[in-house]
Amino acid sequence: MHKHSPVNCIVPPYMLKNIATSGTPVQKNVAMETLKLSAQMRGQRQALADFSAATFRVAAGGKDRVVYDARNGSSLPGTVVRKEGDGPTADVAVNEAYDGSGVTYDLFNNEYQRNSIDGNGMRLDSTVHYRRGYDNAFWDGEQMVYGDGDEDLPEDERLFNRFTIAIDIIGHELTHGVTQFEAKLQYFQQPGALNESMSDVFGSLVKQYQLQQLASEADWIIGGGLLTENVNGVGIRSMKEPGTAYDDPVLGKDPQPGHMRDYVTTISDNGGVHINSGIPNRAFYITAVELGGFAWERAGQIWYVTLKDKLTATSRFQDCASQTYQVAGQLFGAGSVEQQAVRKGWAEVGLNVDGGGTPPTEPGGGCLEALLRMIGAAPAKR
Amino acid sequence: MDVERIKFERTGGFAGMTIARDLKPDDLSEEQVHKLSELLDDLEFENLPEQMTGSESMPDEFTYTITVETRRGEHTVVTGDASAPEKMQELLQFLNRLARKKKNP
Ligand SMILES: [Zn+2]
Repeated sequence: MHKHSPVNCIVPPYMLKNIATSGTPVQKNVAMETLKLSAQMRGQRQALADFSAATFRVAAGGKDRVVYDARNGSSLPGTVVRKEGDGPTADVAVNEAYDGSGVTYDLFNNEYQRNSIDGNGMRLDSTVHYRRGYDNAFWDGEQMVYGDGDEDLPEDERLFNRFTIAIDIIGHELTHGVTQFEAKLQYFQQPGALNESMSDVFGSLVKQYQLQQLASEADWIIGGGLLTENVNGVGIRSMKEPGTAYDDPVLGKDPQPGHMRDYVTTISDNGGVHINSGIPNRAFYITAVELGGFAWERAGQIWYVTLKDKLTATSRFQDCASQTYQVAGQLFGAGSVEQQAVRKGWAEVGLNVDGGGTPPTEPGGGCLEALLRMIGAAPAKR
Repeated sequence: MDVERIKFERTGGFAGMTIARDLKPDDLSEEQVHKLSELLDDLEFENLPEQMTGSESMPDEFTYTITVETRRGEHTVVTGDASAPEKMQELLQFLNRLARKKKNP
């Protein structure tokens, strides 16, 4: 390989991976060298290691799941009931936790070359049957925890089903782990709402990835199936139309805004982290639908790189808007359709990608095309 | 402990739905009142620190604000699912189940 690569810009790793796995030996080599270079540029040895492992996988040692049963108690993690490689059990919650964390692992590993939560093969621990009548799921800093909803009430009084029922909830909780290792977004006010939104974004992408749905086919609902038939609602949040997921005499109405003008100021819920996440959620939805295709590919890649390399503990919505735009330029070129889609996504929720944050520095300009041309796989001009 | 009133507030959680309840002995069964007194006595609730949370909430855990009123005054404790000590878990479960929303309550 030459001293200077003709392609000194960042190409989406999923594209490189496709090339490296399905290309000729020469193409593979070019893809690998390009990735090495961009990894060196960003000082990310780990990214390179992950990429090598994902592309030229020789040994397993990536996906490692353990599901525990709290047996309605509160001691964590509880008793091991299913380990990596074990067959299904008779307990549906156990199997959902196992399968859901598996699909989440696959999405991050296959599409973003991330080996588990910490990028280094961390074991995925889930505990089901936490307490009794526990209407919730959470990430405790080390593992996922799921309640059974209102299982202890007579059926006609129940509002919530078990929390493993929706795979996007599982993806949501695991993504809290990823955020904990990357941007470390404070769980408070705007950084907290961004933390929540990242979990909804990748939670929804896990569901779409499992179903192999196009952005236009997905329902963009978080927690579909979680509410019982006693509730008037389709789920907990709608990324497509925040504020419309439920409207019920007992549960009340979905309080999410989908635009900055409706931003809710509150001290409750850590400063409204589950409320204002509707704003960045909708920005992602618009970006993804604008681009079409599978949302986890281009839109998801832009958001993932932003979460990993750009956002910090105190990032606010404006920072996320500016940085996703910047990342889109780096990945796909300045003025690319991807960058324009990101601009539109944020504009429709009342944020200008040019406002605040660091201005785009990457010259960009079709670096992906340059790479593809070099290896003789240039696509038709967009 | 002669409880006159318990103010229970639960915020956060994956669904972000707040529950606030005033629980008075008159509204509870004898068995429930007995159980509650027992749990509070075992915990020595009046002597618990007011803040029983970490510096920051864990994602999606509930945050509980529990105020117990007795003839001698009132005491408030703020805690969360992940940060509450093991001995408090039974009280949290008990109050949670009493206070949560239900269809046809
Ligand atoms: Zn969350």
